[in-house]
Amino acid sequence: MEKRIRRVGIFLVLCFVALFIQLNNIQVVKAHSLATNPANPRVTSVALDNPRGDIISANGVTLATSVPATSGPQRYQRVYPAATASLFANIVGFDSPVYGNYRGVEAEYNSYLTAHTVPATSLSSLFTNRTVEDNVTLTLNTKLQATMAAALEAVPGHPPAAAVAIDPSTGAILAMYSTPSFNPNPLVSPNIATEKAAYSALDPTSQSTPLIASAYQQAYAPGSTFKMVTSSAIYEHDPALAKITFPLQGCISLPDTNVPFCNYGYNTPQGPEHCGGNITILFPVSCDTGFGQLGMKLGPTSLYDEARAFGFDQKIPIDLPPAFVAVSNFPAPSTFVGNIPYLAYSAIGQGNVIASPLQMALVASGIANKGVIMKPHVMAEITSTQGKLVKSYTPTPWLRATTPAIAAKVTALMRSVVTNPIGTAYPVGFPAQDDVAAKTGTAQVGVHSQNTTEWMAAFAPASHPTVAIAVVVPNQPGSLTGESTSGPIALKLITSALADHL
Amino acid sequence: MAFATLRTPKVLRRPKGPKPRRRTELGLMVGVGVIVAIMYTLMVLGSTAKVPTDVGPLLVVLFLLAATAHIANRVLVPDAHPVVLPLAFLLNGIGYTMIVRIDLATHGNYASLQAIWTAVGVAAYIVTLTVVRRSRDLDRYRYLLLAIGIGLLVMPMVPGIGVDIGGARLWVHIGRLQFQPVELGEILLCLFFASYFIERRELLSIPTARVGDRLVVDPRPLIPIALAWVFAIGVIGLEDDIGFAALLFAVFVVMLWVATGRSMYLLVGLVGFAVAAIAAGFLFRQTNIRVEAWLDPWKYAETSGYQLVQSWFALGSGGLGGVGLGLGQAWRIPNALDDFIFVVIGEEMGLLGSTVVVVAFLLLVGAGMRIAQAARSQFAKLTATGLTVIIGLQAFIIIGGIVRLVPETGITLPFVSYGGSALLSNYILIALLMRISDEGGRTGPETETMHRTIGTEPDPASAPTSVLT
Repeated sequence: MEKRIRRVGIFLVLCFVALFIQLNNIQVVKAHSLATNPANPRVTSVALDNPRGDIISANGVTLATSVPATSGPQRYQRVYPAATASLFANIVGFDSPVYGNYRGVEAEYNSYLTAHTVPATSLSSLFTNRTVEDNVTLTLNTKLQATMAAALEAVPGHPPAAAVAIDPSTGAILAMYSTPSFNPNPLVSPNIATEKAAYSALDPTSQSTPLIASAYQQAYAPGSTFKMVTSSAIYEHDPALAKITFPLQGCISLPDTNVPFCNYGYNTPQGPEHCGGNITILFPVSCDTGFGQLGMKLGPTSLYDEARAFGFDQKIPIDLPPAFVAVSNFPAPSTFVGNIPYLAYSAIGQGNVIASPLQMALVASGIANKGVIMKPHVMAEITSTQGKLVKSYTPTPWLRATTPAIAAKVTALMRSVVTNPIGTAYPVGFPAQDDVAAKTGTAQVGVHSQNTTEWMAAFAPASHPTVAIAVVVPNQPGSLTGESTSGPIALKLITSALADHL
Repeated sequence: MAFATLRTPKVLRRPKGPKPRRRTELGLMVGVGVIVAIMYTLMVLGSTAKVPTDVGPLLVVLFLLAATAHIANRVLVPDAHPVVLPLAFLLNGIGYTMIVRIDLATHGNYASLQAIWTAVGVAAYIVTLTVVRRSRDLDRYRYLLLAIGIGLLVMPMVPGIGVDIGGARLWVHIGRLQFQPVELGEILLCLFFASYFIERRELLSIPTARVGDRLVVDPRPLIPIALAWVFAIGVIGLEDDIGFAALLFAVFVVMLWVATGRSMYLLVGLVGFAVAAIAAGFLFRQTNIRVEAWLDPWKYAETSGYQLVQSWFALGSGGLGGVGLGLGQAWRIPNALDDFIFVVIGEEMGLLGSTVVVVAFLLLVGAGMRIAQAARSQFAKLTATGLTVIIGLQAFIIIGGIVRLVPETGITLPFVSYGGSALLSNYILIALLMRISDEGGRTGPETETMHRTIGTEPDPASAPTSVLT
């Protein structure tokens, strides 16, 4: 009987060991996800009773903070300081009592910003209130952001426009702005009527609502900026094509169609006059006829693979709510079957090719960073209200788009766009000491292709790049070009970024 | 003195001064008192930001109760195991502190009643020790115990005094007094099982009946007990209290196996349990709901899984070190006073606090099993085993229900949950354990020849097995 009593005892001990293991599972392993689960009533009650953490720019300017509420059910109220409110609205997002919190850093880092309970780290902390909120420091710099916003707002006619500046070696977003922006403060007002009025004034259901940050939430035909990808594909998949010399032509005829394929502005003196030669001439002059033919010779699979290697057809893993991140598109190889002329258009970034400004900035940064595209990110570090480091961002590669050798060749081509007097970016007047490498884009859009989307992608200094940018001003009258519209914006951005870095 | 010595030689002839086991107990009791007083102070400080004014009176009452129980031990069971009473006081103290905490959070007033019931429990503990001077007395009145036990189980069914609370008909209402008789009933049934199994253990364990060319255990001696057991389970089933039905089932099967050593009983018991569980799933809506909530509480987070999901949120928010005593959100925990008091502990004191409770029960079970091993008679051994299984398994079923190891069945956590009748029966249970422990803890040879069963009696399970072949 003693033996069996012992066995019963052992069985009960095992039962309690199982309890202990499962308690560890709940209270340690799953503790964080349970404690921050939105369905956990503690989350909302803690959020309502405590301030949210601050959002701070890379240069230490507070972009979002909480102050004691003067009215309403909450004890604290979100405030976006006036100087930077609309400047960062599309990056920071807003934490609205009525419309929720879905956008920007406010949503992405909500579990840190919102008040939460942290595990005890010392014996004395067991007996104190450990409800804390963390502050998020961004990689974005208010000075560059202000320069970018001013340059974009200065475009004649105030059209929607967007730009992105990235540090190519880390993927840190240095500035990202879209016009028009909005003031987020009425959207977080404790006065619900104010909030509703402000929200409907933004026309949230329309395609042109300021709530859509076109810098990363919209995609446009990239036009000739896509020739960065096409050139890389040529060096990667068929380097012999780089040696082909094409005759000077204004238009060419494509197989299976009687619509001519022409250089943009072929009837103006600047356009086609230099379009004879191999890639070293075709690229700076941005000859569509030459690149169209090169694209058809490359074939759809090579171009598609290269576009994918540069981030097309996939979600960009930026640390902003993924639901809003636009996916850039290069058509699948199968869509070119029996439709080869189409490939000529795709090779010059038209047809069905679309790219977000963020995507084109990543293409430029990939070439700048020896072929490696770093994961883009806006968070630099998260610190607790006591100043302790909670989390800091470690730069990680996203894609190996191409080899360092090919990246160097494309860089040389992009330098010539700026330095060669026949290059399309030569008239922009980038200072020689900035050593800018660039590519312009003038994508024909609209019913009769009479409007153009003006692009500029660039990085500098080309020898050791510290900034890569993309600028887009979509749907402009056909008299304008990427150089004339986006060029001055790119110039201001690069000059400002390098002045801060150097 | 000489007269007493003649009647029960050696038993009362004890060395002067306190026994070492009682000195250990005294030390542990002081430790428990300090822990509970600190916990109480921190809890009130945490929830009201004021040092409690009543910590003085609390300490006095705590001291008086502990001193009374401890002195009773010195007089009545001087050789009993030293950790049982301190563990009971620790759990009772943690429970009381958490009940005050829940009162503060919900503006309830249960703590004062719990304090009174604690005093009643300690009184019942002393009365039990006084009345039950020898464990064999219990053996003698087995059918009386059975009758009272069954009576207690049936009580809530009696119209007029039975009340439905929380879907189960477990409560008895007499005048202003409300209590749950099932726990005490279970202890009495445990005593009856022990007595009956020990008396009939040969019949129950040695195969004498022939089925074909195989010898099996004659099932006839099992009939009366099986009837009693089916009746008990049936009554509890009708009262819709699955937790206690399962507990009684398990205690019955374990005791039968410990007494006889026939693994077949465990097997039959398991199969029977499975059948009963599936049948209960179909018959009782409450069981069905609990099983579906057990399998996927997140799916039923707003309905049947609500209690579990809220408990997990609380436990997860507590994390390793807890949110701090008095700083949790106890009002969000459903049934925090009874079934889910463990969750309040886990939220405010974290894994550290919940582990303390689990370990306290583990130590209590360990002490109980040691007492069973050391007991002087077979009956005492089996009784101690059964009582320990009751308390250990009950703790496991309720905590396991919360952490989803088993379906949640809504029984109380011994000593910790709010409830007078539960406290009362828990104290009676440990009093019986202490009585058995005292008998086993005495040094020197037992002279009680009047014991019907003596420790040297051969174990039928290890008896010559020639009959088997």
